[in-house]
Amino acid sequence: MRYVKLYLTCIKRSMMSRLEYKKDSIISILSFLISNACSLGSIFFILQAIPSLKGYTPAEVGFFYGFSMLPIALDHLFSDEFWLVAYRRVQLGDMDRHFLRPVPVIFQMFAETFQPDGFGEIIVGVTMITICGLNLQTSVSFGAIFVLIIGAIFGAIIITSFKIALSSLAFIFKKSGPLLQIVYNFTIYAKYPIAIYPQAIRFILIFILPFGLFISLPVDTLLYGSYNPYLLSLIIVGAAIAFFALATLIWTLCARRYESTGS
Amino acid sequence: MSRLRKYKPFARASAIDVMAYRFNIITWAIVTVAEVACLIFLWLAVYQSSEGGIDSSINGFTYKEMIVYVVLTTIFGFVTFNDDTVWFINRDIRQGTIGNFLIKPISYRGKFIASNIGAFLMMSLVFGIPLYAAGLGVLIGIGYLPVASIWDFIAHFLLFLVASVLACLLNGAISYIFGILCFYTTAAWGLNALKTTVIAFLSGTLLPIAFFPNIFREIVSYMPFAGMSQNPILILMMKYDYLECGKVILISFGWWVLLELIGKLLFNHAIKIVTVQGG
Amino acid sequence: MSVCCFVVDDFQYFQDEGHTTTKEPSTRDASFFCLARCGTIRNDTKGILNMIQVQNLSKIFRKPIRGKGLVGMLATLFSRKYTEIRAVDDVSFDIMEGEIVGYIGSNGAGKSTTIKMMCGILTPTSGKVLIDDKEPYLKRRIVAKDIGVVFGQKSQLWWDIPLIESFKVLKEVYQVSDSDYEERIQFLSSVLGVDEFMNQPVRTLSLGQRMRADLAASMLHNPKILFLDEPTIGMDVLVKDKIRTAIHALNAKYHTTVVLTTHDMADIENLCSRIIMIEKGKIIYDGPLGNIKRRFGNIKTLTLTIPPSVDPNEVKPFSEDVMMELDEDHKDKVMLKFDADKVVLEHIIQYSFSQYHAIDMKITDISIEDVVKKILAQQEEEHE
Repeated sequence: MRYVKLYLTCIKRSMMSRLEYKKDSIISILSFLISNACSLGSIFFILQAIPSLKGYTPAEVGFFYGFSMLPIALDHLFSDEFWLVAYRRVQLGDMDRHFLRPVPVIFQMFAETFQPDGFGEIIVGVTMITICGLNLQTSVSFGAIFVLIIGAIFGAIIITSFKIALSSLAFIFKKSGPLLQIVYNFTIYAKYPIAIYPQAIRFILIFILPFGLFISLPVDTLLYGSYNPYLLSLIIVGAAIAFFALATLIWTLCARRYESTGS
Repeated sequence: MSRLRKYKPFARASAIDVMAYRFNIITWAIVTVAEVACLIFLWLAVYQSSEGGIDSSINGFTYKEMIVYVVLTTIFGFVTFNDDTVWFINRDIRQGTIGNFLIKPISYRGKFIASNIGAFLMMSLVFGIPLYAAGLGVLIGIGYLPVASIWDFIAHFLLFLVASVLACLLNGAISYIFGILCFYTTAAWGLNALKTTVIAFLSGTLLPIAFFPNIFREIVSYMPFAGMSQNPILILMMKYDYLECGKVILISFGWWVLLELIGKLLFNHAIKIVTVQGG
Repeated sequence: MSVCCFVVDDFQYFQDEGHTTTKEPSTRDASFFCLARCGTIRNDTKGILNMIQVQNLSKIFRKPIRGKGLVGMLATLFSRKYTEIRAVDDVSFDIMEGEIVGYIGSNGAGKSTTIKMMCGILTPTSGKVLIDDKEPYLKRRIVAKDIGVVFGQKSQLWWDIPLIESFKVLKEVYQVSDSDYEERIQFLSSVLGVDEFMNQPVRTLSLGQRMRADLAASMLHNPKILFLDEPTIGMDVLVKDKIRTAIHALNAKYHTTVVLTTHDMADIENLCSRIIMIEKGKIIYDGPLGNIKRRFGNIKTLTLTIPPSVDPNEVKPFSEDVMMELDEDHKDKVMLKFDADKVVLEHIIQYSFSQYHAIDMKITDISIEDVVKKILAQQEEEHE
């Protein structure tokens, strides 16, 4: 309860900082919106040239694409500070004030920034889902909707877990931004149905970097009822808990190595 | 020529910067290989799903040509677009160092052109030569990029170099305009992201402009962006005959002059605000 | 020597009370402890808490040697050589509850490094720190409640929001109750005047205001110990005074232990009952400022600006007690160093105006660098 109150206080603080630069925030959100619209445009133009992509209609591919934005955007809203940890803050010894406070540092990182840029992605994502969803030729079951919601929320937790674990390596190597960048960039694979990839990549996308697990499989469940939605939900939630626990453990171990700069 | 000499230090400094900056080259390489692989899988799926199968041609591109296009575009982007122009202008504005340039006998724009060219030359020497050699070697070797006449290829390659330099200048000019916009907002990060994605989309880096719908395609192909990625690559792929090559190079050159003019006017307007406000 | 022995015993007593292993101070240490303890321990009774214990603390930094230019940069990738820098070298001292201690030394002497180890954001290479019997770098979150920290250069306040909002966040972070918070804000407003700029964003504050704000922020949770790294650096005299008064006030009111580093002799004179002086990572002096003055006299420097017509080499200093120094870079400057307890200031000023035809003058206290030099010189003498 204490942490909820503390989090809300900090987020209010973060929003106030953002509002000091209203114009810039709008430009920033807009640029996210436009860049998403651009990549959307590309995929749309490609789909116009072919009847279907490995059996998926354009509307279905669009649904995939829109849905993949949601977990990414949710993660973006809440855990943006970890990028700074990975790239800059540890290297500059700029974490001192957090280590001097009687609150877990990992919590402080979540509380430090709330990134409204993520709303740009959410807007595009939801719009896509709505437009494409209305053009789907399937009957939508409650279970499918349920697994989609679970996939978006717990998928975000899985992405955040990767961010936590990889950014905490900066405590040992001073800078882990590039590594985080590499792993994070694999989210581009999450935009398309995993059916278009070779077997090996599908395996990776389900068991190692499980973007496929919480994006592809739930959407397939919605479109074709491929999996049991409740069992799949259970697996996604389990995976998210496991990833998050592991990530916090890695963070805790690495953060012990934090040293301020000398002098 | 002596008038140009004073810009040499900027070109040199930028060339050294490029080396330091590209020290995360391994990161770039891994990210890029992953991205290119993703695109190749996507295109493979697209062509397999098309009515004529894998050997069909979509919007004038066969599957093989599309792979060549994707690979060359990636190398091209890495070698040609090395500019931190927006960041530098933003820094100069925020720290007030831009005032120094107003009293120096050096054009502010000239400094950036020198930097861009310096970075471009350095990148071409260190990474461009091996990457193009390896890329073209493999693509020609496996028959994805057929070469009928070696002279034809060399001629196109030379034209490609000209187009590359123009692409570098165009990119620099557009970056400069976005940089000047930092006078009006502090959202340099957002502006830079916006610039990168808009260029990537409209220059045909994400997919060839031929895939765009009719009117849109016509408009985009006459915009400056096409000359920044798609046209140089299509020249190198010998998809343009010499007449078309000349035409796209001329269009690019015209746009470059125009963009420099726009940048100049914008800078004059922005600088007036600063001097009036005493910033 | 008898005093010395007494003090060494005393030292061990306090170590025992802290339930830690006792350590025999070396004889050389003992002579310093003699100075140290005469000033501070004499009034202490057995009930006073040993707030900070520093035992044989050392910190070694390893820095990779980087080559210059492109080739060097490439070379660093393959072979890394390190230089070892002993920033803090076998340092021991105790600080009692309620003491205000000046931790001083020249740049790079190891001050900040020691302070950072005491706060828990640097881990010692060897030795240990106990803050209220807890090792801060092992129990960071527990110790954090007991300490307040101000690092002169890095603000802990949020840049873009009004000061009061930063305070509200810190109130939640440290779980300060509403009544305590009100009381504290009132107190801090009265001694630091933070209410004057409470609603301004921190980025709009002047350097002095920001330091006052930072100081207030570090006091909100009423820490037992306050670490201040250069709290008056770059401030004008009035602000310095305000900050010093505030430190005194909160020390009196809450009995807060204060450890501060500074470059300013006036800070030390006004604030510190005790100074610990460090040079090249080693403690060279630990005791009250008065002792230093007694040892080296009340040294002042009179800097004169003389007209070009006067050749400074031909003019004699006032008396044998006055040391004359010339500045190579400024030919028109003459510096006279003297003990203000032995030479009457008025006389030397009159003399210099009549003899040097001085056109301007400035009187400065001895600098910390000079004190360090003198102590080191004296130690060498003692060795020989």
